[in-house]
Amino acid sequence: MTSLLDRGGVGLRPHRRKFLNRSVAARTVAALLATTMITGSTASFAANVDLSKWSPEYIKSIAGTAEVDTAADCAKVVPRDYKGRLTYWWVGPTQAQPEIDHKMNAEFWAAWKEAYPNIETDAQNLDYNDMLNKVRTAALGNAAPMVAKFPILWGVEFAAKGQLQELKPEDVGYETSDFWPGAMKSVTYEGKTYGIPTNNETMAFIWNAKIFADAGLDPEKPPATWDDVVKYSKQIKDKLGVNGYGLVARQNAGNTPFRYMPQLWSYGGGVLDETSDTPAYKTVELNNAGSKAALQAAYDMYVRDKSVPASALTNTQNENQNPFIAGQLAMMIAHPAEYAKMVDLASKATGADKEKADAVVANMRYGLLPSGPARRAVVFGGSNVHIFAPELVDGGLDEKAAKAFVCFSTGPEWSTKLAWVGSNPGHLDGFTTKWMKERLDTIKFLDVTTSMLPSGIPFPVIPEQAELMNIIVPDMLQNALTGKMTVDQAADDAAKKVQDLLDGM
Amino acid sequence: MTIDVAHQGGAMPAPRLRRKPNVFQRIVRHWNDYTYIAPALLVMLLVIAFPIYYTIELSFFKTPANLSMDKKIFVGLDNYWAILTSRSFWDVTYNTLIWTVFSTFFAFVLGLGAALALNREFLGRGILRALLLIPYVISAVAASYVWKWLYHSDFGVIGALSVQFGFTDRPINFLDNIYTALPAIIVVNIWKEFSFAMIMLLAGLQTVPDQLLRAAQVDGANAWQRFWHITMPHLKGVSMVTILLLVVTNLNSFIIPWIMTGGGPAGATDIWITQIYQMAFGRIRFGMASAYSVILFIVMMLLGYFYVKALTRGDEAKVG
Repeated sequence: MTSLLDRGGVGLRPHRRKFLNRSVAARTVAALLATTMITGSTASFAANVDLSKWSPEYIKSIAGTAEVDTAADCAKVVPRDYKGRLTYWWVGPTQAQPEIDHKMNAEFWAAWKEAYPNIETDAQNLDYNDMLNKVRTAALGNAAPMVAKFPILWGVEFAAKGQLQELKPEDVGYETSDFWPGAMKSVTYEGKTYGIPTNNETMAFIWNAKIFADAGLDPEKPPATWDDVVKYSKQIKDKLGVNGYGLVARQNAGNTPFRYMPQLWSYGGGVLDETSDTPAYKTVELNNAGSKAALQAAYDMYVRDKSVPASALTNTQNENQNPFIAGQLAMMIAHPAEYAKMVDLASKATGADKEKADAVVANMRYGLLPSGPARRAVVFGGSNVHIFAPELVDGGLDEKAAKAFVCFSTGPEWSTKLAWVGSNPGHLDGFTTKWMKERLDTIKFLDVTTSMLPSGIPFPVIPEQAELMNIIVPDMLQNALTGKMTVDQAADDAAKKVQDLLDGM
Repeated sequence: MTIDVAHQGGAMPAPRLRRKPNVFQRIVRHWNDYTYIAPALLVMLLVIAFPIYYTIELSFFKTPANLSMDKKIFVGLDNYWAILTSRSFWDVTYNTLIWTVFSTFFAFVLGLGAALALNREFLGRGILRALLLIPYVISAVAASYVWKWLYHSDFGVIGALSVQFGFTDRPINFLDNIYTALPAIIVVNIWKEFSFAMIMLLAGLQTVPDQLLRAAQVDGANAWQRFWHITMPHLKGVSMVTILLLVVTNLNSFIIPWIMTGGGPAGATDIWITQIYQMAFGRIRFGMASAYSVILFIVMMLLGYFYVKALTRGDEAKVG
């Protein structure tokens, strides 16, 4: 049994696997001792991780404190001499990704082959833009793979259609509490679990410290609240003439909800009840007071103060990158990898532009997303692994081979190594590994972006989420920001569309 | 003078009018010709006819995102009713009409002007012709991105020039304004398409008899009269085909509006095709999107009918 005193310790010790023998008493004590998570939502523990202490310092303190033997752990689920067959589809490294991702990917497959030499594996690395439709078609034609790794919200569509086999962490030797509560929400549909998180990430708030200083703001402190973002954005625009906050409000673009929903949730709004600990996704909250306050804040920045790019209605985050590196944009929300992107852009600049771009990179800062009257929030992103229903699998499902692979790929070791640059381990024990320590030592701002994870909220886990997030929410923003409707009308109109959607139209 | 009564319908029994053979009789009569094209017909049946059939079938079903396709729900004409009674359909139809009519009209007029200019002999005509063809050969995707940056509301070249020359105080908001977005992308579409009209009409101008134009000039007709009474009548057939092709292309336009605005802001540039795409792949409502597609298909078939009529008018006259 895992002692609570061991949690968060700094000494190097064997990684403790929590197979299903942990006592109920220990869980109760753990739950009592655990203070509320940063989100105030769920108290949850992995063996070596205390989410109640989650902070950049805490993350650094636990990194490199545990040893992992993945092959030995998974051998307890499926013996290593098991002979079988596996088919696996995933969005793997592309030419555009850094060399380290390719190296880790190659190491993973070599390690898998060594751990289970008798499982014949057919793995297909698919393009992100092709995979969803390919899997949909394959599932319709009973030609699905045994195992597939999907971006966080693709799985719900297949679960709703009965195309996935139930799969929970306990099925492969882990515990549900080993994973982020937000991540577990994303694999739960109508009370049943259909997958296991592999990696999770959240965005962070980025600002240009020099612009802050020039505008009379503290260059080392990001805006604490969304009201501050509105205020800072105006101050920067008024004093310097450059745009303050990089609002993104393009129609039919996933970038829009990823940046707007944190603001909406912070003010106490929501599309449905996705911010609650146990969401039922039945009540529409898009026109509650919090949602309207968030929309009003966006309206104030775009229409009243004109302190954000006029092009926000056609912008995705890509269109924010050039203004930011040119010193024409002060604040934006982006992934940890945005720093690498800015370094890359600066390296391609020439002459006076190069000097300016290098200065922007030097003045680039990462911080937590602002909080609001209700909470601090960020969209919970990442990927999950799923097993398809046996009748849909091409050549039939080899359940043992599939579970061995799921165990191997979602454990602390590979969930950390395969998420090297762009994400974080889905398995919380991954944060205690030496590889996490190496990442923290080599990837700038990783500790900050990782600190946002406990504030992560996944989009509503219903099959219609793409329509909610990519269409209805951006439409609402555009209706208000273009003056086609008032803020109240836009919120009410969007709420009605959501209600119609829930009613089945 | 003798009269051939047999040809006057007199006492001799009238010869039976030869009836036009029906499709089946024609196939039987020309069976070996049809054998040659059978493989191509088979492929077309698979890749064109079946998708059309499946789209029509799907248009009578509801396909909620939480149900697999084999569990789709039959709803009869409900999808059509829902579309035709929704306000968004008429908003999108209005946008589509504006987009199609203005794009077609101005692309044709500019193309005609360019064709008339290039039909004359002058120094550098070849170079100018090549330059005017550039928009037609550039990829629509690349052109859309270039124009998007030219129009950019914060950093666009057009906006910067308008400020620099004192036309406006701040960059013009082309694509982020519900009143200017559609005209702005129509301009891009006209720029992209007028070269096509130019090529077609330039070819048509080669058929205008030079002696007629010279004779008219000798008779004292001015330039406008020669254009209106001689050139235009000779361009009538090619103009009709060009306009019909432009209308069909514009009704099917997707790339320029999708890349430049994504249908926004606030639906200001949403046209039929972008709406269908969004409904199918954004909202996962394949049944509704299929019904939308069938409506568009009917409109296109009607236009196709007139197109074929225009193309075969000469042939019918010869047969007659």
